[in-house]
Amino acid sequence: MKLKFNHRALIVLVAVSLSCFNSFSQDDRELRPVTSAYAITNVNIIQAPGKKIEMGTILIKNGLISSVGKGLSIPADAIVIKADSMFLYAGFIDGLSRAGVSKPKEEASREKVKDPGNPAPERAGITPQNDVRNFLNAADKSIEDLRNLGFTVSQVVPFGNLLPGQGSIILLGGKSADQMVLVNNSAIYSELSGASGVYPATTMAVMAKWRELYRQSSQAKAYQNSYSSNRTGLERSASDRVLEAFYPVIDQRMPVLFKSEKMLDTHRIFSLKNDLGFSLMIGGVKEGWPIVNKIKASGAKVFLSLDLPEELKKDDKKDEKKDEKKTDAKEEVKKTEAAKPKTIADLEKEALQKRKTESIASYTSQASVFAKAGVPFGFSTLDVKAKDIVPNLRRMIAAGLSEDAALASLTTVPAQLLGLSDRMGTVEIGKMANLVISDKSYFNEKAKIRFVFVDGLLYKMDIKNENLPAGQAGKFDSNAKVEIEGTWSTVTQSPQGNTEGKITFKKDGSSYSGSVSGGRLPEPVNANDVSLDGNKLTYNYTINFGGNSIKVEVDVTVDGDSFKGNASVGQFGSFPIEGTKNPKK
Amino acid sequence: MDMKKLILSIASGFLFLFAQAQIEKGNLLIKNGTVLTITKGNLDQTDVLVKDGKIIQIGKNIQAPVGSKVIDATGQFVMPGIIDAHSHIALDAINEGTNPITPEVNEADVINPLQIGIYRALGGGITTVHAMHGSANAIGGQCETLKLRYGTFDPDVLKMDGAPRTIKFALGENPTRSHGEGAGIVPRTRMGVEFVIRQAFTEAKEYSDAWAKYNKNKLVKGFRGAPPAYSYRHEVLSDILNDKIIVHCHSYRADEIYMMLKVAKDFGIKRLVFQHVNEGFKVAPELAAQGAMASVFSDWWAYKFEVYYSTAYNAAILSKNGVVTSINSDDAEMMRHLYHEAAKTQKYGGLSDQEALELITINPAKQLGIETRVGSIEVGKEADITIFKNHPLSIYGVPMLTIVDGIVRFDREKDADDMRLWVDPKQAIETSVFRDKLNDADHCMEGAEFILDSEIFKANNK
Repeated sequence: MKLKFNHRALIVLVAVSLSCFNSFSQDDRELRPVTSAYAITNVNIIQAPGKKIEMGTILIKNGLISSVGKGLSIPADAIVIKADSMFLYAGFIDGLSRAGVSKPKEEASREKVKDPGNPAPERAGITPQNDVRNFLNAADKSIEDLRNLGFTVSQVVPFGNLLPGQGSIILLGGKSADQMVLVNNSAIYSELSGASGVYPATTMAVMAKWRELYRQSSQAKAYQNSYSSNRTGLERSASDRVLEAFYPVIDQRMPVLFKSEKMLDTHRIFSLKNDLGFSLMIGGVKEGWPIVNKIKASGAKVFLSLDLPEELKKDDKKDEKKDEKKTDAKEEVKKTEAAKPKTIADLEKEALQKRKTESIASYTSQASVFAKAGVPFGFSTLDVKAKDIVPNLRRMIAAGLSEDAALASLTTVPAQLLGLSDRMGTVEIGKMANLVISDKSYFNEKAKIRFVFVDGLLYKMDIKNENLPAGQAGKFDSNAKVEIEGTWSTVTQSPQGNTEGKITFKKDGSSYSGSVSGGRLPEPVNANDVSLDGNKLTYNYTINFGGNSIKVEVDVTVDGDSFKGNASVGQFGSFPIEGTKNPKK
Repeated sequence: MDMKKLILSIASGFLFLFAQAQIEKGNLLIKNGTVLTITKGNLDQTDVLVKDGKIIQIGKNIQAPVGSKVIDATGQFVMPGIIDAHSHIALDAINEGTNPITPEVNEADVINPLQIGIYRALGGGITTVHAMHGSANAIGGQCETLKLRYGTFDPDVLKMDGAPRTIKFALGENPTRSHGEGAGIVPRTRMGVEFVIRQAFTEAKEYSDAWAKYNKNKLVKGFRGAPPAYSYRHEVLSDILNDKIIVHCHSYRADEIYMMLKVAKDFGIKRLVFQHVNEGFKVAPELAAQGAMASVFSDWWAYKFEVYYSTAYNAAILSKNGVVTSINSDDAEMMRHLYHEAAKTQKYGGLSDQEALELITINPAKQLGIETRVGSIEVGKEADITIFKNHPLSIYGVPMLTIVDGIVRFDREKDADDMRLWVDPKQAIETSVFRDKLNDADHCMEGAEFILDSEIFKANNK
């Protein structure tokens, strides 16, 4: 065995030397690592929030942290990462998401039911026996998106409404579902949302059904116990997958994980908990601050949403700018504007804007309110756009959450809440090598993540070719020389799915014209205001939707034969768009 | 204290913590108003003293306790807070319209204390509402009696703790349209509605009988057997049959009302209130004989086929026949002037002030089973009080102050523009200015704004 291993190591070494030492800077995540040993040197190690080793070294072996400290001798077989002056943290843990989880086909849920009052459990969204492992796709981009931000572990749950199934805690890396799974059946997942057109459709019916299922399950479990202790002369205890799924919950061996975004959801979930007595986790919490004491008293484990409402746009400033453009006499306009007394409408708008700003501020300061109230909390990335996560963390910090508390909620606290503290959450000997290394302190606006380790496996972020999350435009370069003439295939992502289309640009002298087709357009329409400034391309077009004209504004950054950016569709919001240039025929 | 008792008292202490939401209660003295007690006549220049949310003294020249808030009601009318026996405000879901029989669903689970409609209702002098399930199902969901304690973020605080359980039933076009026409299942006709109700009760009887039998057998030593399968639906239906829940039945036509009286008699249901009951005047003696009550509109009908035959005299005829009658709104706007609705019975039916006011105070309280706590101004009752400028049945009557549990929840003098409890951070900002002096557009008072600005106009509209 030993001989065989050495033999293999030799081949690997040769292979490495042949492929130069460049394997690093390339996207090597598909390859097996050449060695399981790493040494990260000269790095600021944040072992736990508030506990720092300056310019230390950390050794990794076989997926575990084998040594942490200063002046460590580096093993001969270790790949050395000179992380000079960088910052190293324990990998982040996400309490609730659907990273890597495939959505089941929706056909089943649209079937017409003969008696809407008595649908099959699957149609009603009652499948607590389902296991998220059956829906995991290791190649799903959402896993990479989260990992690129420093997340290494996530509790993932199946799609669905009432009781979609059981969640698992997974590593955000690995080649198969089983390889990723760290803890299976970590929680039974539930949402207070009803089925469409069949019972239970409303929240009140969902709650009634919840109580009934739980009580039926308690009854079935008790009967099964008495039946298995003495079967003779007793009616057979029937098998029921739905009810059996609750047994570990009734035994307090498995918590119920509820999505609880709205404040009123949280109240309602507590009412179920008080009636039935299960142990509870609430995830995706967005509106918990008014009831932080109630949440504290409940003992529920809490994962706050990393989603935040957008900051209020400064409409007034925009208007002013427009006015300035219209007239040359800028000063004149400003003077008359200043002299103009405020109308009733202005005052009303101001008052409403003030309340909206305050409301947004309440959402942003939720995390700090929880921290001050002494409620331990982790975070949830459920339904949060990857590109918003780090900016939102910074907004929470600006609103009063300390950086240490933010870090704790990404590492030590979720490890504790999910029962993983013996394995992760801190940078200590014996813990899993789930690590994140950024070039500056993680919460620094200019910080970039350089390396992420998941279970001892290295993922390197190539910052030249930034691994941009979908929809995030590349860097603006006014000197870039790009050529857009030709036909491009585009893909726009929206909550309804991806839309494919085409755009053809033609050069007319120094300007461009364009034509958009495909997608939801019955026939091609003109692209207007096509503008190319360096590598920044913008254009817009109008679609007809239900009798309304809706303007679609596209703003992308071109990189060679591809572009990335956003398509903003009127009031419907902004969606990521990507394009690739079709080869010339 | 033995150990068992100790444990019990600790356990009940915890239960108390879970069950009781913190409810704010106030102390105040209302001075020198005309007190319309409803149950004990009208008292001129009388004071009402409130302590810890309850009325503790009614009389002349009561001294305000130190630190107590004093409200001068000189020249004003002090009446019990108005009760609306049929409303759908403060709820996030109204109809579980997927099944004709859904007694297990409960509006108590979907109370929304943030709705601005609660504040608007207070502005109309309302202090208690019956927040009901809708009328899509023959046997709908359980309803919740709410006190309008606007300002709380906790849905439990709105609940009138200890109020009897109530449930919504519905006859006629709504259930037949929802299920028969909509889903192609029973009930498609009025016969079908009767059938599904009778069937549900029969099943519930079988269910509770089976449990009674099982529980009895269990006491026999050595008994072995399976319990009946738990059904939340049949548990609630059994509670109805055992008179633990007051039935509030949506109905219009005399034939279906009479049918429901028979069904109630057959299954021994005693507490029955008919809602809308537009043809109630045709079966008023029958209703009175069975002790069934009626909650009606003043003069609203002809909005669908089954409601064509109606009269504004309905409330008066029902009242004169001895049926406990109330006037309800079933509507967030109408509930803000329920006192006008009550006054219409004086034009149509010649009811006295006393009789007309009972329709929106003590009578709806009786229909909700809360008449010992609210619905009149009496010592020992909860301090739910509305103070009117001008008599509440006058067209000039205006609710000025609305008090719930001794706490002022609405004060017309301090009625700010924006009383929302929760601001949606994603909602677009829309202004609603009716008159903008600077950007004068064509409006019906163009060129006559000086009238609106005059001191006389302002004084009259204060």
